[in-house]
Amino acid sequence: MRQVMLTLTNPAGLHARPAAELVKAAARFKSRIVLEGNGKKADAKSIILVLGLGLRQNDSITIRADGEDEEAAVQMLAELVKQRFHE
Amino acid sequence: MVGLVIVSHSAKLAEGVAEIAAQMAGRELKLVAAGGLQNGGVGTDAVRISNAIAQADSGDGVVILADLGSAILSAQTALEFLEEPARERVRIADAPIVEGAVSAAIQATIGSPLGEVADAAEQARTLRKL
Repeated sequence: MRQVMLTLTNPAGLHARPAAELVKAAARFKSRIVLEGNGKKADAKSIILVLGLGLRQNDSITIRADGEDEEAAVQMLAELVKQRFHE
Repeated sequence: MVGLVIVSHSAKLAEGVAEIAAQMAGRELKLVAAGGLQNGGVGTDAVRISNAIAQADSGDGVVILADLGSAILSAQTALEFLEEPARERVRIADAPIVEGAVSAAIQATIGSPLGEVADAAEQARTLRKL
């Protein structure tokens, strides 16, 4: 299991487009990936659950991956958050 | 990949919803707008919807998002025009049209099966906006 905790810095937070980017990126990995924030957890491969986290700018987000490609998964998703979802 | 059909009484609304969903989905997603009547008027047309379903179905099935009232009836009628097994692969989502279409489009893009794409659309009902 690998995990990383970050702060969302993009202005829109984890709203529709960034959430979509994150879900699409997560789906490329075999590992089970869970996002945690705002006191809630979400399967990173479900758009509705990710949107349901309701994360905003400056909220913290934990990305946790468990599986054969967990290292790469956490690295890639963390990079996406750091790059502000290319906004 | 599961395809989507957007049914609305207005051709413009169906195209607009499809436009928003396509923006967030992958380019490979089949997303077909089936709004309005053949003569350009406001209404829903079962034949047009049925053709849209055939166009959106690549073999993995289709989820239909519809606006109000008779849009659902027309979608149900459209299903009757389809042959088995294509009809078996269609789900009409009980979902808000914009949120449902966006959710379903993203879930379909990542390769989720028909049931999960339909669920993604229907669970959009529970999303709070504020």
